[in-house]
Parts: sequence; C-alpha cells; structure tokens
Amino acid sequence: MINVSRDTPSCAGAERSLSGADAFTCREICFRYFRQQPWIINGFSYAFGPGITLIKGASGCGKSTLLRLMAGYLTPSSGSILTPAGVSPKDPEFQRRDLGYVFQQLNLLPLATVTRNLALAASLAGLPVHETSERSAKWLRLLGIEEFANRLPKSLSGGQQQRAAIARSLVKEPLVLLLDEPTSGLDDLNTRVIIRALHEYVTGSRICVISSHDARLESLAHEVLDFNRFLPLEGHLEALV
Amino acid sequence: MKSSILIASYLWKDTWKRWFEQPSSPLARLFVTGLLALVATVILVAFHLLERSIRERLERFGLNTVLVRETITTESRELTVFGDAPHRLAPLAEQGQLLRVRQLFVRGITEFQNSVMVFTYSPAAFEHFVGFLSPKTAAILFTEDLPGGVLVRVNVNRHSTLAVSRQPQGWLRPLLAEDVLLVPQGTWPDEERLGFVETTIFQRKPDGQSVAHVVSAVNNFFTLERERRSPPQVQSALPLIRELEKLKERQVQWRNLLAAILGIAVSLVYGSIAVLEFRQNLFVSALLRSFGAPRRYLFWRHLVENSLLANLAALCAILLLAMLHKTLFGTLGFARPVLEFSGGNPYVSAEVLSILIWVNIGAVLSSIPILVGLRTPVGATLN
Repeated sequence: MINVSRDTPSCAGAERSLSGADAFTCREICFRYFRQQPWIINGFSYAFGPGITLIKGASGCGKSTLLRLMAGYLTPSSGSILTPAGVSPKDPEFQRRDLGYVFQQLNLLPLATVTRNLALAASLAGLPVHETSERSAKWLRLLGIEEFANRLPKSLSGGQQQRAAIARSLVKEPLVLLLDEPTSGLDDLNTRVIIRALHEYVTGSRICVISSHDARLESLAHEVLDFNRFLPLEGHLEALV
Repeated sequence: MKSSILIASYLWKDTWKRWFEQPSSPLARLFVTGLLALVATVILVAFHLLERSIRERLERFGLNTVLVRETITTESRELTVFGDAPHRLAPLAEQGQLLRVRQLFVRGITEFQNSVMVFTYSPAAFEHFVGFLSPKTAAILFTEDLPGGVLVRVNVNRHSTLAVSRQPQGWLRPLLAEDVLLVPQGTWPDEERLGFVETTIFQRKPDGQSVAHVVSAVNNFFTLERERRSPPQVQSALPLIRELEKLKERQVQWRNLLAAILGIAVSLVYGSIAVLEFRQNLFVSALLRSFGAPRRYLFWRHLVENSLLANLAALCAILLLAMLHKTLFGTLGFARPVLEFSGGNPYVSAEVLSILIWVNIGAVLSSIPILVGLRTPVGATLN
C-alpha cells in the first residue's frame, strides 16, 4: 500500500515538479479495487517529468496499479491525474497517440504476427504506412527481433515476446511510455537490449515510467521513486505475504 | 492501412479461429435459429396460404353474390317440368341480376368418364346463356379441364347429348363449383319429374342493398313459409368474409407470439454464448482497448457475428422451405393453384420478413451484455 502524504520527503520534490508544464501529474490520488479493501494508493501526489523514472518497491505495494491509473486503464477513487497535454489519461486520443504501455504479462495479440502487432498499434496512433514500416524496422532492429518480424507470438521465446511487446509500444514513439516489470525473468543480455532501446527512446520531453524491482534498471533511471519507503514495516510485510 | 481495417481483419481472424476451435458454438446458434425460423415460417406461410385460398373462394363466389338452393321434391306443388313456377324471389330483381336454374337429381358422364352435375335452364334464363351456346347444340358443358368450343358427348341415364365445352366465368362461377352440363328445360322430362334443386343466383347491383340485407330478406321470407316448405340453403360471401377476418386476427396473434418466442429465444441463446465467449476473449478485447481501439469496434464484432449467424440460419430455413414448398404444403392439403408462386410468393411476404426482423432484434438484444462487459476497465483485465 502506498500511503504518501504531502510532508513525506518524496513529495517535497513532487510539490516542486507539480507546476512543471511537461510533467505527468498525479494529485492526491486514492485507489482501491473493492470498497471493503484498504486503500492500495492513498493520497499519492507526484509529477513525473521528462526522462526515466523508476518506481521500485515490493510486490503488491501498488506499483502496477499506479501505472494502470496513469494509463487510464483504471479510474482513481479520488484525486486527479493529468497528462502533459493537460487531459485525463482516459482520453482516447492520448491512449492512441501519446501512450505506450508494456504489460507485465507480455500481452501480444496471439493471432497477429509481430509486424502486424506493431502495425495495429501504429495505425491506431494515426501513423502513415511508410512511417510505420520505417519505425517498425528501426525498433525491431534495435531490440534484436528483426528476423522474427513475421512470426506469431506463440513461436517466440519469453524474452523475444517481451522485446516485441516493447517494440509495439515504441513504434508510435509516444510522449509517455509506461513499462510494468519489463525485465522480470529476463537474462542480462535481453535486459541490456531493452535498456539500450529505452535510452534511444528517451529524448526531449518524453516521459518514461518503469515499475520494477529489478536492480539492473536502477542505473538507467534519472529518478528513482522508492515505494518501500512509504510502507510501514507491517504493511510491507503484509504486502509481501 | 487504416486502423479500422486492421482491427476488423484481426477480429475476423479471431472469430474464425474461435469457430474452428469450438464449432459447437456457431452450430448451436445456427441450429436453434434455423429450427425456430423453420417452424415460424411454416406457420406463417400456412396462414398466408389459408388466407389466399379463402380469397380465391371469395373471388370465385363473388362478394356481391347470393346463392339460394331450394329442394323441390315430387310432393312439392312447385314441381313443374315445362315453364317456371312463380318466382318468389322476383322482387330481388330490383336490387340486381337474378338467374334461376334447376339442378337435377341425376349426374352425367362425359365421354372422358368425368362425372358432371346436370342443370336445366328455362326460356327466361336463356338470355344469360346465349353467349355460351353453339349453333350445333343447345347443351353446354362448363368445365375447366377442356378448352372452350369442343363438342363432347355426355350420357345421362339412358340419354345422350352433344354439349359444347365452355370455361366457367363471370358471376355464374358460384354455380359451377364442379363440371356442369346445362340443357334446356324439358330436355329429359322423366328425370326432371324426380325433383330438382331450384337454384337462384343473385348478383347485387353496385347501388343495390347490401348482401347482408339481401340474405336477411331471403331468410325472413322463407321463415314465413317455413310450415309449407323445407328451408332453403342460402349461400353468400359473408361467412367467407367472417372467416377471413377471423383468420387475419389469428394470424396477427400467431405472428406476435412467434415474434416474441423467436426474439426471446435468439437473444437468450446468443446472449448466453456471447457472454461465455466474451469472458474467454476478454483478454483480446482489453488489449485492443489498451491501444485505444474504440469499444464500438468490439461491440460491433459481436453484433455482426450474431447477426450474421442469425440471418444465415433464418435465410437457410426460409430457402429450404421455399424449395420444399409444394411438397410440404401439398401434403398439408392445400390446393395446387394456391401453392403456385405466380399468385404471390409467400416467402417474400411481410410475414416472413417479420421473422428476419425479429431474429435481428434478438441478435441485437443478445449483444447488450457485451456492451455492459466492455465497461470493465482494461486495468482490471490485463496485468
């Protein structure tokens, strides 16, 4: 459970960043899946600026939930979330054009080839065909899965599928990229390839938020948000259980 | 490529895969809809054919015709062979045309071994038949089996006569329900002395009293004479019109009932299958929505799938029935002329169209749970 109040150390920085025009802003957000449950996120405020922010914390502490809230896939019980464009993340235009999301469990369309998976995301983002082809080739090459472009996801290994899922998010070169445990269960080689691709992606005002407890990604982040710090010891243990 | 095409193509592929993996799902929907549509079509087409046969009988009889049959036996004072007895229904002539002929208690046999009724006409009725006569004979054979103008030999008891064949037509048709031999009165006096059915056909003038009024007047007249004679048989189109109205009423009731059954059954069966499959495919739906694919695409996918299967099944059932039309409804006792499509194709009628409408309403209703299901947040489905 994330229980952040404005006087916590991390929120002092957040207060500062909340006024940033390019930031992805969360204000006093609270969330729980069911009414009877305790809050998973309670009064969280933060402004995610350009660059890579790594959210780390124990399993069950609400990292993935926060990313889903930021993507507009869940609705906060209270508080507000604003994208850099100043709209709600539930805005379909934002989801189509400006948001890339990599789920924890790969989630490639099973009946579409890797290329078709990329094309579908790119076309929804309104990219022209030639640009889709160029970008697909670029990101598939950078992620080292060029040769699997015409294969179905079921014929790929776990690492290859993860890279394909990341390529699908990067093909539209979104303003905001949210990655949920992108390297969990991957070997060092796969992780290095992903890190290289993310380095390539994060330029200018692009915002990348990674939820992970993988220590290998810490060197990549411009900012680290440690959710463990907000957990009381009992809560942390409870979350672990 | 346009995103809508890509999504549609992916969803179509997904649907095909699902159908191949679980053929029972589309087959169950096809079977249930086909069976229901088949039963509904049989009932509605049967009503349609019944209505048509009544209309044909009405047309044949005539809306403005009244037929009065009075049996004259050897004991009756009206039994005259030569010349007409006083015509008690003569006052009706003011309201329209009257024709009186006598049906003898004998039957004739043509040279083609067809049995025919035998009627005689009096000199007073001659003017009505003058157009049918041939210079070669004063006897006329009204039949639909032969072309007009053929001379046919007809035997009646020990007599034999040559008659000219004519097609029954005009307001005389109610008299000519079957093949009729018409000869001048007094041709066979012995047979006529046995008695006959005095048959009066009345054709109302457009400005005359209503048929109901005429029927009532005839009945009243004969009621007054009830003690002296047996009551006549009075025939008019009124019972047929009543029968038609009752049939139409019943047809509407059945149509509504069938529509309700069809709509509810299709929506329940399709809805249940759609909900089950939606749960299985929640992942793909949520994933597409996570890219920003509009919910309407995903809803349309279910709607199109259900409508496609429902219409395919209903159309196949209707087509199958149209192919078996004559055999099936012929077995059910409908006359051949009623079964002909030239008189109106019952499978392109409003009744059958209503089946398709209700099947589609059922398909739309069955998709409503999907609409509710698509409101589940993406984040609650995908991890």
